[in-house]
Parts: sequence; C-alpha cells; structure tokens
Amino acid sequence: MDEKITEASSKDNYRQEPKVGVYICHCGGNISDIIDVKAVAAALAKYPGVAVAREYAFMCSSNGQDLIAEDIKNLGINRTVVAACSPSLHELTFRNVLQRAGVNPYLHEHINIREQASWVHKADHAGATAKAIKLAQAGVEKVKRKDPLNAIRVAAEPRVAVIGGGVAGMRAALSAAGKGLEAVIIEKAPRLGGKLLELGKMYPSGEEGTAIAGKLEALVRAESKISVHTGVDIDFVGGFVGNFKINFKNSDGTSSQVKAGAIIMATGYQHYKPAQGEFGYGESANVVTLPEFISLMKNSPAGRLEYSGKEIKSLALIHCVGSRQVEGIHKPQADGKINDYCSRVCCSSALYAANQVKDRYPGVRIYDVYRDIRTYGMQHETYYDKASKDGVLFMRHNEADQPVIVSDRTGHTVKVKDVLTWGEELEVKADLIVLVTGMMPSDISLIKSQMKMPTGADRFLQEVHLKLRPVELANSGVFIAGTAQYPMDVPEAMAAAGTAAAKAAILLAEPDIPLEPFVAVVDEHKCTGCGLCPAECSYDGALMMAEKNGKKVAVVNPALCKGCGACVAVCPVRAINVAGWTLDQFDAMVEAIAKE
Amino acid sequence: MSKKILIITTNHSSYPGADAVGQARMGYSADTYVIRVPDPVMFPEDFYLNAFAKGIAGIIIMSSGSDCPYEGAYERLSKRVARVYEKMKAKGIAANRLKLTTICTVCRAAFLKEISEMEKAVAAV
Amino acid sequence: MSYTERIEADALVVGSGIAGLQAALDLADQGYSVAIVEKAPSIGGKMISLSKVFPTLDCASCITTPRMASVSHHPRIRTLTYSTVDAIKREGGTFTAAVTRKPRYIDEKECISCKRCEEVCPVYLPDEYEQGLGAKKTISIPFTNAIPQLPVMHPEHCIRCGACARTCPKDCIEFLQEPAPVEIKAKAVILATGYETTPMTAKKQYGLGELPNVISPMAAERLLAPHGPYGRVLRPSDGKVPGSIAYVQCAGSRDKSIGVPYCSRVCCMYAIKQAILLSGSLPVADITIYYMDIRAFGKGYEQFYNNARAMGINFVKAKVARVTEDADHNPVVRIERQEGTSAPEEVKHDLVVLAQGLVPGCDVSKFGLGAGLNDFGFVQLSDETVSSAVTAGAGVFAAGVVKGPRDIPDSVMDAGSAAMEAASYIRKL
Repeated sequence: MDEKITEASSKDNYRQEPKVGVYICHCGGNISDIIDVKAVAAALAKYPGVAVAREYAFMCSSNGQDLIAEDIKNLGINRTVVAACSPSLHELTFRNVLQRAGVNPYLHEHINIREQASWVHKADHAGATAKAIKLAQAGVEKVKRKDPLNAIRVAAEPRVAVIGGGVAGMRAALSAAGKGLEAVIIEKAPRLGGKLLELGKMYPSGEEGTAIAGKLEALVRAESKISVHTGVDIDFVGGFVGNFKINFKNSDGTSSQVKAGAIIMATGYQHYKPAQGEFGYGESANVVTLPEFISLMKNSPAGRLEYSGKEIKSLALIHCVGSRQVEGIHKPQADGKINDYCSRVCCSSALYAANQVKDRYPGVRIYDVYRDIRTYGMQHETYYDKASKDGVLFMRHNEADQPVIVSDRTGHTVKVKDVLTWGEELEVKADLIVLVTGMMPSDISLIKSQMKMPTGADRFLQEVHLKLRPVELANSGVFIAGTAQYPMDVPEAMAAAGTAAAKAAILLAEPDIPLEPFVAVVDEHKCTGCGLCPAECSYDGALMMAEKNGKKVAVVNPALCKGCGACVAVCPVRAINVAGWTLDQFDAMVEAIAKE
Repeated sequence: MSKKILIITTNHSSYPGADAVGQARMGYSADTYVIRVPDPVMFPEDFYLNAFAKGIAGIIIMSSGSDCPYEGAYERLSKRVARVYEKMKAKGIAANRLKLTTICTVCRAAFLKEISEMEKAVAAV
Repeated sequence: MSYTERIEADALVVGSGIAGLQAALDLADQGYSVAIVEKAPSIGGKMISLSKVFPTLDCASCITTPRMASVSHHPRIRTLTYSTVDAIKREGGTFTAAVTRKPRYIDEKECISCKRCEEVCPVYLPDEYEQGLGAKKTISIPFTNAIPQLPVMHPEHCIRCGACARTCPKDCIEFLQEPAPVEIKAKAVILATGYETTPMTAKKQYGLGELPNVISPMAAERLLAPHGPYGRVLRPSDGKVPGSIAYVQCAGSRDKSIGVPYCSRVCCMYAIKQAILLSGSLPVADITIYYMDIRAFGKGYEQFYNNARAMGINFVKAKVARVTEDADHNPVVRIERQEGTSAPEEVKHDLVVLAQGLVPGCDVSKFGLGAGLNDFGFVQLSDETVSSAVTAGAGVFAAGVVKGPRDIPDSVMDAGSAAMEAASYIRKL
C-alpha cells in the first residue's frame, strides 16, 4: 500500500460513550399537525443512550440550531438525531452545527418525518406518530454505532500527463497549463499535430490541417509549463490517482519516466482502412479513401484534377465506408466486430471536399452515394446546400442495397438502387471512386491492458457516464480528450479536451487530493484472509489481499474504492464495511423498527 | 401485530423518489419504514432472512437499476436476491414478501404501486 | 426600491441549464467563486423538465438533480434564481452586472418549503412547467424537484383572499414585496443562456397552437415523464389514449423559409427517444417518424436508431406539407414521400408531435460584451479550431447551446472547457 495515503482516522483517539441528543421538528405544523411530536420526544427521552430529547417549532432556524449547540456544550451531547424534513434540505445544516460545536459532523443522523411521514400519512395520526418514534429510535441505534469520519487525502504529483500530441492533446495541455498546472505531452510521432498533419483544407475554417495544428503548436511551444516529448514509445503506464507513472523510450534509445497526478488520454483515431476489394479498394485503380483524396486534391495542378497523372472528369463519393455497418451485410473486422457506429464527421468532410472540387474544377461531375446526409453542425448544412446547387448528383440507397462498383479499362460504373428516384437502378460512370471512410480508435492496446481501461463495443475508450461524467474513465484520475472517445471534428475535440483539462485541474487543485470518506474499511483483527471480497469488487486495485503484520488480510485502496459495498455482503465474518454505513448499524435499525 | 414493510432505498435515486411522493402529498400506509444506503448490494443474504426473523413482514428493495452509479452493482444485487429467494423457499417464507425493483427520483406512481402490492403480499403473513 | 445587495465573485455565469451548472461547478471545484443568475424560479434549465434522455434512456431528473444539489450546496457558488441580468458593464478587468431579483412575494429566508400556501390557494393557472397540460396554483413551488424549493406568487392572478398568509406557519407571505436590485462584480462572464424551441408562427400550416392534438416536443416530454401531468400518455383534445402518433421532423430546422437553415442536431434523437418511450407505454400504438435524413451521429446514437427500427417504429422519408384535422380533432398529415411513391398522401393520426428545432434563448448582444453573434443569433467564437469557449469579448466565454444547437452530452462536454478558459483568463489578470 502506498504510504502517501493518510489512513482514515475512523477510530479517533477513543470511542466516547454515546450521549445522543434527539430533536423533533414541528416544521410549523407540517409535522406536528399529524405527528404527536410531544409523544415522540417523550418516547425517545426514555430510549437507551439518549441523553436528551426535545421538540421545537423550527429546528432549522437559528434558535433551533442553538438548541443543539447548547446541549453539546452543557450536556456533553456527542451524537445527534434530528427528525425533521428530508435530509436533502437540511442534513448539511445540522452537520455544520456539530462541526461548529466541535463534534465530528458525521456523528449526526437525519430522520425524515415530513416528506416520508407527516405528508404521506395525513389520515393516520397514530400510525404516523408510531412510525416517527420507530424511525427516530432506529436513528439513535444507527448514530450510536457511528464512528467519526475524516476526509482521506492522497498526496498527488502536481502534473498532468497528456498521452497524444494531436490537437486534442495540445488543447488539453494548454488548458491545464493556463490554470497553472504543469503538463507533459507524450507523442509517438516525431512531431506534434497528429492526424491533422496528413489532411488538406478542412471545415469549418477552410484552413489546412497543418495550419490548424501549427496554431496550437505555437501556443504550446510558448507555454513554459508544457514540456513535449515526441518520437517516443510508451512501454509502461501504471499507478493510480495522484500517482501515475509513465515509462517511455526516447527516439535516441534512452528511457524516461513521467510522474503525474492525472492522465489525459488524447490518443486519437486512425482512418478506417477499407478491406482488400471493398468497393474495389486495393484491387482496381482509381479507388481512394477520402483522406487520400484530400491530399490528392492538395497536390493537383490548378485547372486539372489529377490522379496518377490522369485527369479526373467525374468522381463518385461513397459514404459510410467502415461506418454504420450492418450485421449480415458487412464483413466483420479482424476482431470479429462490425463498425455499427456513425463516424459523425464524414458527411460534412465529404461535402466540404466536393465543394472544393466544384470551386477549383467546375467541370468535374460528382455523384454522392449516401444513406443519410448528416451535416449536423452550424454551418454544415450550407455545404450540403452548396453541393446541391453546384450540381452534385445525390443518390440515396438503403442499407440492404449497397452500391456496386464494376470496373473495367474505361473506368468505373457505380450501380445504385436509388430511393430518391423511387427505387430505380441507376448506373453512372466515374473516373475516380472516393470511399468516405470513417474513424476507428488508434491502437493503444498496451496502455489499455496495463491500465485496464474500459472500451465500448465500438472499441473507443468508454466514459463513466455520457452526461454525468463524459470525459472520465472508470480509472480515477484518467480522462479522455478528443477522438480517443468517439469521432469528432476539431471544434468538438477542442471542447472535449478543455473539459478533460478542467477535470484534471479540479483533481489537482490542492496538493492533496481529498477523497470521500465513505469507502470500505477492513477490521484486520476479524479478517480471516479468505479472499472472497476482492473477487466481488468491480474496481480494479481497490481491494486486494496482502500481508500485514504477518497476516494475510484484505486491504482497501481508498483512492480507488467507490464505496458501493459489494464486498461487504460476501464477508463471512463481517470484517469489512463501508465507513458510515456499517452492517451493524443496519441490523440495529431493523431490530428497532421490528420491535413491537 | 402490525405488518411492517421495510423499504431499502438508495441515496442516488429511490430515496429522493420517496421524497417526491411526499412533496406531491400522495398517501400510503404508515407501516412502512424507509432506510437508505449507498447501494443495497452491501447487504448479505442473511440480512434479509434476519429481518424476517425479527418480525419484518415484507421488504422492498428499491434499487437505482440502470441509473446505478456503481459498476456491476445491480447485476450483483439481482443475483444475490435470487439466492435470498432460494433460502426463503427453504425456510418456508413466501417469495412475494421480498421484492427487488427500480425506483427513479420522480417515479411516484411506481413507488405507490410497489407499496400497495407489498401490502397485499404481507396481508397473508 | 432601496438597498442594493452587492456580490463579488470571480465569475458570473448567466443561465443555469446543464451547461451553466456544469461550468459553475467546474470553476468552483477549482477554487473560484461563482455567481449564477437564472431567470426562472428554479435552476436546472430545460433538462430538468425532460422525461428520459438519449441514448441511454436514463431519467433526466435523476441526472440533473445531483448537479443542481451540488450547485446549491456549494460553498463557493451563489445562485440568484428568478432574477434577470439587466445590463453588464466592463471597466478594466471588472464586469459589473445589474441584476433584478423579481419578487416571489414570500420571505425567502424564512420559508420552510411546506407548500401550505399552495394547498389553500383557491386560484388555478395553466402550469407552464407542464407545458400548459396541467394546472398549478397562483402561489406554488414551480415543480417537484425545483431548487430552491420556494413558492412564487403571480400577483396578476392573485385575488388577495389572504388564505396563504393566514395558513403560513412562518408568516412569510409578503404581498408588498418589490423587485430588488443586486449588483454583481466579476472578473469573467460565462454565457450559458441556452435555447428556446423554434417558434412555429412562421410555419402556421403545421397547426401548432391551433390544432389541439398537434403538440410540441416539450409537451410530449411531460406526457412521457413519470411525474407528468396525467401520469400517462393522453392526447389533449379528449383525453383519449392515442393509437397512432406521428413525428414531423425538421419542423423549424433546415428551413430557410423561416430563417432557420441550420440543423438543430437534437430533434432526430429526441424523436427517436420519445418514440421508444411511447412504444413502451403504449405497446399497441403505431408510431411514425416523417424525416428527411436521420442524424444519429453521436456516441451510441446509430445503435439507438437501429433499436427503434427493430422495435417497429416506422421511419418514413417524406416531406410534410401541412397538418390539418378532421371533425374529431384527429390530425391529418399531408406528406410527399421521398421514397417508394411520389403522389401526395394524407395520413390520419391521433396525435402529432412537431420536432421543433432550437433557436437562441436570449439575445446576448444586449449585454454589449463584444461577443459576436452569427447570422442566427448564436455566439460566434474567436477561433473554434483553437478554443471552444473564447469569444471576441475579453473575459467573456460561452458554454452550451448559446453557441449553437447541441445535445446534453455535447453541452456537458463543452461546459468544462468554458470553465477552463475562464479560469485561465482570471489567473492571468
């Protein structure tokens, strides 16, 4: 176990004899009109462990809060139960009262007798009162068994490692550095810029890929807090939140290590490579992918679109090559999976490229063979409009009726069952076939396997939750930026990378990372070392068996434990519990509730 | 003797769901006792059997289901509950006295339905 | 009007939808102080009123409420709800915002959220949270999980009967409350003012507002929400369970005739989501989506679309010319198919949902902050290939739909970036 983790001081100094103060709120009649609050207070006053039980009009008011503070001072109350409204409204209020009065704030139990009693049992005053008594007694049983909790802190390396030096990686490093964090970019290629270095003019700005990458690179080079390692080969990534280590070989053969508190995965994408013979790719001449076509266009002379020295007078764009694949229609990839996802950016890229052809080589005929045109972005619809206006001929097919390319010496014939002409079988001749290929994630299998990073069925890195935690991996302290997560265009990658940097900056805002105290805690005296609990844990490295004081015991890494309690259920001797939510507490609560 | 129903809720979804029922002033039986946990996956099989032995008539586990914030917890929970059913059967405890369900933060109607169904189930106890 | 409350914060966030909330949290969690101004009586924006959200079908409330709670409990975030930003001035590195807190006609500090005033109030109003499908009281807490849980009184409808004042256990009702001025000084401003759905005034032939069974997507969200106005899906005209429901896509998007030529990005997906939810709650209903292109471009979206097709939802590539109704208020949709056959057809449905697009929720140019707008009123970035949040106004950043339509995942993913740019700017001041 890492010595940098401060143990949860769950058993501070000594375990005080519980002296519970119980406070019943009238809520100005909201509770007291239904529940006999005097009877509840009277029943609780006699309950074992309770030193004082009071009822008051508004416990949340400053007079109500003072009541508790006074009792702590005068009567030596060291635990409190407040029976009032929902804890979502005032649990924090009362924890703060305890804190101000010098008692650990977690030695409070909040009982909900408004939303979950007086408001829902209006016709049953006796029943509601009996229930309130039981719930308050259960609360007393729970709070008697509570231990003080303190935030666990992990010392962290004040540095972000950004794996990948494409535009997302550069943006993430810039944003982190902007906040004052040190950032280290680790890039396998000899220079920064990633896939953009291969691309020509790009939407939305019309700049060359190299120009866009160049703007960010200039900012990176000017930022003293960013260091850059290019041309390196990562051979190890390990550690956990606050304390990651990345080992790599430099281009000169030497080895380096970067220590970082957080990692940003900006490992990017690769273009889908069509299978041999897919729409004639690799077999017929003049079948290229869209990225290949964009560079070809870049190198063509003005006034004449050329490929292999021959003039191209007509071309057909075939959309969704390697994207939106369908079981039974498309051949699986090497790993047995099909690419059933939409690659998001290709429709707009393809039409943007078509428009450039029309601008530079107005005579070139363009056929666009598609299923749905997904020009979703703010200006993207204008690319579609312009292409239609400039005479690009659109043909739409259903997924089951894939277009067929027949090639001979005179060129290609594209056969499409076109739904726009009500299912007519159309045939057009084209000098060049452009396969609008999608994106696949870069091969990062080594890092993924060493860090056990989750990926989705689409093989991209899988975030914890698309809306709640969209750039976080299940590995605490590891974030995703850009196309390592899913296809996106440059502006979208900028947003994702900035947000990944934000998460890293939040994590490393203080020298010590505060962790939730509600994590699993092992009673080493009870633990028999049976090993059942680690098998039940979903979080890699959070719970392991280890030798401690000459004994094999379960050991929790609080930096990785999420406190779900899955381990608790399987321990045959009840040696492991989630701090703040122990089984003993719940047994005692159920006992109190069940008692006649 | 009252027929007490124990309702196990989650901090994340079903406890706020129970609050939403109260905010809407909907009514249900007072023989219901809500406790809240990070996730019901923490309870061992014996917890449920002991609760029945102590005199709890019915138990509703209101999980977060697919909204569960913990990895794999719901799958583990449902497997565990299946084993609890086996043990209940062995002890002759009617299976309908334990119910695993999912309640969201605003699932008011579903919350009430679960309670009224459990009331019917425990009436026979 | 008298005393002006003064608030100082590192950043001012205008709007508390999911983008504003996330941007505020991402700043505050880094140690910056934040003031949020929200015009509605609750934080949470549009998202808190949605049913379930694509593509994972998680309950919208369950995802939004934790964010709302984190913001409202955050020690470094001050939230002003039911407040408007009237003007923002910049002097040197400081922005001064003039804000008006609208009167709720209650004492906000004393109120204990017990809703007794609401119970006794005798006057009912259409409930805008329920898109007019339900009723609320003249004094009421806006909705179940609103934050703060404070009622708002609408004096224009109040009959001054005094029932609320007599029943309030804390003597909170203040009939004479006045708007209160607040001055917020901040070093940076994040615009997160979101969207409204495209008004259908320019598209009268679709019948929204005229035909009772032609409804907005927001109304459909409420019908589908577990805590919706009827608790189940019923059509407005007669309370009948609809057996045939149609979605008209691009109703107010990709349409130059109404000044919204752009794609609104979310409508295909929310229609598919609602269709999936509808087929869950109405298993025998026929559900048809009339569309031009299905734009399922996000992570997991194509698979979601494929699931909907496998469930038997009809996707018909067709243009909708107009929607009329028959004598029983059944909407009749006149379509021109784009596949199969070309003859115009009239198809009768029980309920029609117009998949309205998104337009800016606020004209932010009125603040005069130097942030440029595009032709459609969305904030234009300085260079979107370098940063997704920096505008032409120094110290002014943008998060979420204020920059153009985007869905919830894209808005959340965007907000942190705005927070980062603001943090970096403040640090360099």
